[in-house]
Amino acid sequence: MDLAFTPEELAFRDEIHAWVHANLPKDISDKVHAAQRLSRDDMQRWAKILGKKGWLAYGWPQQFGGPGWTAVQKHLFEEECALAGAPRIVPFGPVMVAPVIMAFGNAEQQQRFLPGIASGEVWWSQGYSEPGSGSDLASLKTRAERQGDKYIVNGQKTWTTLGQYGEWIFCLVRTSTEGKPQTGISFLLIDMKSPGITVRPIQLLDGEHEVNEVWFDNVEVPAENLIGEENKGWTYAKHLLSHERTNIADVNRAKRELERLKRIAKAEGVWDSTVDGPSAGRFRDEIAKLEVDIVALEMLVLRVLSAEKSGKNSLDIAGLLKIRGSEIQQRYTELMMQAAGPFALPFIFEAMEAGWQGNFPGGVVGNAPLASNYFNMRKTTIYGGSNEVQRNIVSQTVLG
Amino acid sequence: MDFDFSEDLEQLRDAVRKWIDKGYDFERRRAIVNAGGFDRAAYTELAELGLTGLYVSEDHGGMGMGPVEAMIAMEELGRGIVLEPLAQTLIASAVLQTHAPAHLQSNWLPRIAGGEAIVVLAHQERGARHHLDRCKAEAKEAGGQWTVSGTKSIVPVGDVADTFIVPALAGGQMALFLVERAAAGVKAEGYVTQDGSRAAEVTFSNSPAQLITKNGLTALLEAADIGSACVCAEGVGVMDKTLTITAEYLNTRKQFGVPIATFQALRHRVADMKMQLELARSMSYYASLKLKAPEAERRQAMARARVQLGTSMRFVGQSAVQLHGGIGVTEEYIVSHYFKKLTQLEMTFGNTLHHLGEVSERMQDTAGVFA
Repeated sequence: MDLAFTPEELAFRDEIHAWVHANLPKDISDKVHAAQRLSRDDMQRWAKILGKKGWLAYGWPQQFGGPGWTAVQKHLFEEECALAGAPRIVPFGPVMVAPVIMAFGNAEQQQRFLPGIASGEVWWSQGYSEPGSGSDLASLKTRAERQGDKYIVNGQKTWTTLGQYGEWIFCLVRTSTEGKPQTGISFLLIDMKSPGITVRPIQLLDGEHEVNEVWFDNVEVPAENLIGEENKGWTYAKHLLSHERTNIADVNRAKRELERLKRIAKAEGVWDSTVDGPSAGRFRDEIAKLEVDIVALEMLVLRVLSAEKSGKNSLDIAGLLKIRGSEIQQRYTELMMQAAGPFALPFIFEAMEAGWQGNFPGGVVGNAPLASNYFNMRKTTIYGGSNEVQRNIVSQTVLG
Repeated sequence: MDFDFSEDLEQLRDAVRKWIDKGYDFERRRAIVNAGGFDRAAYTELAELGLTGLYVSEDHGGMGMGPVEAMIAMEELGRGIVLEPLAQTLIASAVLQTHAPAHLQSNWLPRIAGGEAIVVLAHQERGARHHLDRCKAEAKEAGGQWTVSGTKSIVPVGDVADTFIVPALAGGQMALFLVERAAAGVKAEGYVTQDGSRAAEVTFSNSPAQLITKNGLTALLEAADIGSACVCAEGVGVMDKTLTITAEYLNTRKQFGVPIATFQALRHRVADMKMQLELARSMSYYASLKLKAPEAERRQAMARARVQLGTSMRFVGQSAVQLHGGIGVTEEYIVSHYFKKLTQLEMTFGNTLHHLGEVSERMQDTAGVFA
C-alpha cells in the first residue's frame, strides 16, 4: 500500500497543471472562483480550447480520438481543472452520449457524431426525464413510431439542463408498449433544429434559467439515428449511468469550494475566535467538520481509482459517491451562506454578473450568489437518481 | 399551566386565516414580489384586521394585546408567507410604548395602530453580524436637537417605511432614536431579499432624530427578542403549511404505479418533519410565554427557542424540497417559496449557531423549562 502517486503520475499532473494555467482564460476562471454566472460562450470557449488540445474527450480511448488516460490520470486532470477554476465540462456530449455511441453505435454514427463532440463544436442535451417519469424513468411515454426510414416522435421531456443551447439531444423514447416497460425503450439521437421541437424554459428557485421542457410534436427523425437495436435503449442508458463513476462525487470541485468557504469566513469574521470571539470558533469547527468529510470522500474516490487501475478489489460504490458528494456540495453552499449571514439575504440578480458596478448591500459583492447557490444545490440530491433511489441501490448491494 | 387557546384567540386565528385564504393567495403574493416585495394595500388590510394595533394600548387606538395574540397572528401570516412586515410593527409599537417619552408615543402609536405609519427597526450593521451590542452609528446633540449618522443594512421595507428606530452611540453609550425617512440626510436604497420581501440600505448623514431612550441596548435586546418570538411563531406557521403541501404532493404524485407516499423512506422523512414541527411549536409557545420574563431569563429562553426553530426550519424546508423532487426546485411551484422563507427566517435576528452560542454562555448546572 502506498498513498503517494507514482513519479510518472506526478509528472503528468505537472504537465496538466502547467497547460491548464497557461490556457484557461482568466475572465472565465475569475467567474468560477467567484461563483458568478457563466454564459454559453464561457462554457463553449473553454470546451473548444480543451477540444483543440484533444482533452475535452479526456475520458475516451485512443481509438476514438481520446488520450487513452488511466483512471488516475483522468482524476488528476479533473482535479487540476477544478482547482484552477475551470468551468465544469458540460457532460452531455463527451461524458454521457459519447461512451454510448462508442459502445453501441455503428461505425458510421461514430464517424458522424464523435468528432463534433470531441472538439466542443456541437452542444448536446439529454432527454431522459418526463413529467410523469422521474425516479421511475422506465415508465417514460414519449413515443417514437417507425414509419419507413424514419421515426415520428411525440411527447415531452423535462429538466433538460442547458437545453436552450442544445443542438442535438439524445433521448430515451418508447418504441413498444409490450412486455416490461424497460424492454420497449429505444435510444435515439435527435437534431434539435428539427421541425416540431419546442424548448420552453423552466425557471428554478434561484431565478436562473438552467433547465427546460422539450416538446416533440410529430418530429421526424431518420431511422439511421437509432443507436443499436430498437427496444434495447434501456440497456444502453444503464451503460451510460454506470460510466458515471468517480466524476459524480465532484470531490475536486468540493476542494476548491472549501478554499472559497474559508476565504468567505475570513472576510465575514467567522474564522478566528481570537479576533471575532467564540461564535467564530463555533463556525470554524463547522468548516473543520466539512474538511474531514471532504478528505474522507477524496480517499474513497482514490480507492475506487486504485481498484480501477489494478483491476483488483473492484468497488461497486457509485451510489455512495453520489450520496456523499451531493451532501457535501449542499453543505459547503449552506456554510458559505451562513458565513455571510444577513448579508447573504439581498437578492440582486445582476450582482451575480461579472463586472457589475452597483453597490451590493454590506459592500461585498462576493456575497451576492451565496443564497442562490445554496438554493440551487438542493437539486443535487434529487437529480441523477435521487439520493433515496441511490440508498435503495446501495442497500441492495449489501442485502442482496 | 394551560396551553389551550381561548375562544377569543381562536377567533383571532380564524380572522387572519380567512383573510389569507380569501385575500392573500399565492398569485397575489407573486404579483407583490414582482412589484418589489411590498404592497401598501395589503398592509392596510392587516391594519383593518386590527393587527397593526395588536400591541398598541387601547389609549392609543390599539387592541392592547400581548405575546400570545402576537404569536397566533404571526403563525397565520407565516402560513400564507405574507410579505408585509407585521413583526416590525409589533417591535416598533412595543419599543415605543415601553421606552419612548409620552409625546413620541402619542404622535406615533395611533398612526402605527391605524396602519398609516410604518415604523421599522434599522439596527443591522456591516461587521456586527448578530451582535446587538456592536454599533458604529453615532448620535450628536446640539442645541437640544439630536442628529444621527451611520449606515444600516437590510432594513425591512427600508425605502417604504415612514420612520426608523435607529440604535446609535451617544457619548459612547447606545441610545435609540426615531428618524423619519423624509428627514434631511436620509438615503434609502431598496431591493428584494431572498424570500421575496423588501429591504433597503439606509444611510443617515447628520439626520435630525428624536431620542427614544438612552437605555438603548436594553431596549434593543427587547426589540430583538420580540423579533425572535415573531420568527418562532412565523416559522411554525410556514412549517405547518409546508408539511401540508408536502403531504398532499406525496399522496398525489405517482411513480412505479403508486402514490410516492407509499414509500417507507419518504414516510419516515415525513415523520421526522412532523417531529421537527411539533418541537418547534412547543418552543415557539415557550418563547412567547417567556417574552415578559426578566431580561436574563427572557434572553436565555429566546436563544433556546431559536436553536430549536433554526434546526427545525432548516430540516423541514430542505426535506420538503427533497420530497417534491424536481418540481421542488422550480420557481413556479409553491413549495420553494416556503423553503426560501424558512431559510431567511433562520438568519433573521441571529442565526442558529449564534443562538447556540448564547445558550452555551448561559448554561447552568441545572436545566429545564423552569430553570
